[in-house]
Amino acid sequence: MSLFRFELRKLLLNKKTLLLLMCLLLLYSVVGLTSTMFLIGGNDSYRAYEELTAGWEGPFDSKKAAEAEKIYQEISARYGTDARMIARSIKDQPEIILAVNYHAYTERVEEYWNGTPPESIEDPYGIALLQEKIAELERKGKQNTFACRKLSIALKRQKELGEPKFANILLWENLFNNWGENMMQFLLFVPLTFIIAPVFAVERSSGMDNLILSSRNGRRKIVTAKLLSILAASTVVVALYLAATFLFGFLPHGSFHGWDAAIQSVPTYARSLFPFKVWQLAAVGAVWLIFTGAVYSLMIGFISSRMKSQMGTAGVSLAILFANVGLASMSDTVTQRLGALVDFGLANVTLIKEVFGGYKVFHVFGMCVSYPVMAVFVMGVIAAAAAFGTYRGQRSRTAA
Amino acid sequence: MELQLEAVTKNYKSKQVLKGISLTMGTGVYGLLGPNGAGKTTMIGILADVLSPTKGRVLYDGKDIQAVGDEYRAKIGYLPQDVRFYSDFTGRDYLEYSAALKGMEKARAKKRIEELALSVGLWDDLKRKCSAYSGGMQRRLGIAQALLDDPEILILDEPTSGLDPYERIKFRNIISAYAKDRLVLLSTHIVSDVEQIAAQIMMMEYGTIQHIHTGEEYIHRMKGRVWLAEMPAEQLVDYQNQAVISNVRAKDGPMEVRIIADTKPVPDAVQAVPTLEDAYLYLFNYLPGKAGR
Repeated sequence: MSLFRFELRKLLLNKKTLLLLMCLLLLYSVVGLTSTMFLIGGNDSYRAYEELTAGWEGPFDSKKAAEAEKIYQEISARYGTDARMIARSIKDQPEIILAVNYHAYTERVEEYWNGTPPESIEDPYGIALLQEKIAELERKGKQNTFACRKLSIALKRQKELGEPKFANILLWENLFNNWGENMMQFLLFVPLTFIIAPVFAVERSSGMDNLILSSRNGRRKIVTAKLLSILAASTVVVALYLAATFLFGFLPHGSFHGWDAAIQSVPTYARSLFPFKVWQLAAVGAVWLIFTGAVYSLMIGFISSRMKSQMGTAGVSLAILFANVGLASMSDTVTQRLGALVDFGLANVTLIKEVFGGYKVFHVFGMCVSYPVMAVFVMGVIAAAAAFGTYRGQRSRTAA
Repeated sequence: MELQLEAVTKNYKSKQVLKGISLTMGTGVYGLLGPNGAGKTTMIGILADVLSPTKGRVLYDGKDIQAVGDEYRAKIGYLPQDVRFYSDFTGRDYLEYSAALKGMEKARAKKRIEELALSVGLWDDLKRKCSAYSGGMQRRLGIAQALLDDPEILILDEPTSGLDPYERIKFRNIISAYAKDRLVLLSTHIVSDVEQIAAQIMMMEYGTIQHIHTGEEYIHRMKGRVWLAEMPAEQLVDYQNQAVISNVRAKDGPMEVRIIADTKPVPDAVQAVPTLEDAYLYLFNYLPGKAGR
């Protein structure tokens, strides 16, 4: 058997970890199932909603908007304007769900054309607002600045995408919430930390370090085998999460309706300037989570190579994760000051809604580079540094 | 083949564990004897390339082992003092994993595992989890691991601890047969382990190699220094605090005491045939006051 297969067995394919994976599968299935069950009442309610929306899907219709607005006003008078409160109160009433969703869609259309004041100075959205800001910069002679170029690209993209269309994306929205909200970071990255943490640290605590370091393959090939096993283990755990939340998110209602709608139909991605269909975003999101999970796991691997115990490794790794989450949840003033530290910190970069939900652009050597491209570059550098550091550390490591 | 230590020093923070050891070893069995804390395991660790010397270097055929790297490690088989196992590995898994670490070809590894399992008496236990092995079985598994790739240099740290007398004899036989054209370094504080098989025996204390001789030379030097005397138990209690005593045998009446001394220790003492153990005690001056070192 090759070293890789042994390392994979030590890290993943052993009784303890397989038991943990079974528990995780159960947990992830429950997450997928409950999130979809609380989305809308029973299967009948969803079927009714699907039938109702069939006549409402497509471009903006002012008559339908007026109709929806009337129902929304009644509902908000009864339950208030908090979207979650409304959603919880009306989950067995498909007609009202439709009206509330169409009302939200109407707001998004309005935003698409005019922007919604007060608009973020950093991240303006809406055709009229963008045109106004570009004109203002041109008047000041700043048409060749990064800010002006960034706004022009955003305007061009927004025009190309066109006015958002209404679609029934209820189940997909739920899926993207499961894949792209902070909850995912705890459900996925915390178990991943405990699975990866022993990768190097266990050799010290088990006393196997002596044998490994005195072997021909104990300085380089073992690191390659361990890094590959880290990647395999992290892919398995993330895939488990993706598959369970996907399967149990759709299974109760037996429908993939909305799969080919534009992602701008999904409220969280309404401001996205990426020309993805819903299914494409799901595919990109899955790959993104596998990628970011792998980078995080390589970081844990590096920490593990420097620590004497797996609990110490897990502690440091979780501290880094939580520090990132903490920083990202600070107020806008703080996060803007921290800049790249937040943008490329684990908390933001692992969330697909942060990376693909808007259109953030970075100014790099005179070029406008989009957030996903920059994130791939930064994460790639982090992964390479972690791998290089691990190789280097093992080369000079002693058993003392 | 030659392995050379050149003024090797090892410090752990302010404590100097090895003090400029210089030594050359060729083929044959080398025994490394010394009390606990003498620096044997540290020296072994440096030779096995799992520890780096603070100063000095180790040369393999004239080349620094740090520079030779993988090529040097490919030539060594190492049994550390304390080997533990992955809880869910069987004996075969452990040996296969060791073979993979040593970069052995699969077919050859399989053949060697079977040969060694037979020779160390673990053939019937290869499918059992290592965690279920007795201490002696774990040690034998460790020995098999060290011999797996037919190494040119075999470094064994306390290989016989936990082995019963039969297993120790068997181990000695395996090593004796193996040592031809190879270098075997055997560190221990069990004198009889090296007495029979080591061509050269190094006595180490306080981080330095104090003596290097053959077993016969050590024994020869002890001629006239080992005595047998009889004394009552009450006298022995006081006497053992002043003299190096290598053995006491209870008999009816007075005890038979084996004393190591340059001159006749008691009037009725008679000379005895010395052993390597006597030499060890004599050279390290094992007076009771030093027992705690």
